[in-house]
Amino acid sequence: MSRPVGLVPHLFVKDVETALSFYGRAFGAVELFRTVLPDGTVLFVELAVGDARLLVSQEIAALDALAPSTIGGTPLLLTLETPDPDDLARRAVFAGATVEAPVTEMFFGERYGRVVDPDGHRWALTTKREQYTPEDIDARKPHEV
Amino acid sequence: MSDGNPLTPAAFQVLLALAAGPGGRAHGYGIMGFVAEVTGGEVQLGPGTLYRTLTRLAADGLAEELPGEDSRRRYYRITPAGRAAASREASLLRRLVAAAGDAGLLARPESA
Repeated sequence: MSRPVGLVPHLFVKDVETALSFYGRAFGAVELFRTVLPDGTVLFVELAVGDARLLVSQEIAALDALAPSTIGGTPLLLTLETPDPDDLARRAVFAGATVEAPVTEMFFGERYGRVVDPDGHRWALTTKREQYTPEDIDARKPHEV
Repeated sequence: MSDGNPLTPAAFQVLLALAAGPGGRAHGYGIMGFVAEVTGGEVQLGPGTLYRTLTRLAADGLAEELPGEDSRRRYYRITPAGRAAASREASLLRRLVAAAGDAGLLARPESA
């Protein structure tokens, strides 16, 4: 059986340059390359976010590939692991994100918060501390959300 | 960006190829060839991975593209920060390899 070797989010946005500026300032994203059509349309841009890859495209209505603000929400939460979620959240807000849940200590042993980027994509910012066993986390979990 | 963060395997291999090159420099095909040779062909850096890795290393200030006359044969050079990062990674790997030896993972198979 062939085995996947990567998982790469591909985000659709209203305006690619605005989004790239945000991801660069907020998350230190670095543009690796872009594919541009002869008429100048940016088909997609590949970014490096830390060691991860992220693809960003202009929304394409004809393909039903739409930005969150066009759809009116998103079912996806992108989780960014970082040593310092407080710093990343500050940078994201400074770059234009809004806070959905402030960074705080969570029952699963991570310092975790959520922001919404200017395009409406949702990002969780978290440490990866792993100091709790699955049993610890199970015992600490809330009874309801 | 890469402030003491561990290097990805591809990033380390590319920096290693640059450090091994004359004057700390190499071109794309040279890097791919070096990595394939050192690993006995076990690691093959494709052009896509190589390009992404070099772009990322350049953005992090660990390598730099050298101005050249031939755009199809671009040269890259390791920077002092790149040398420090690769050096750190090599020390870490040496400790791991030493531990692997202690654990018997590097033992030569006894002749039958």
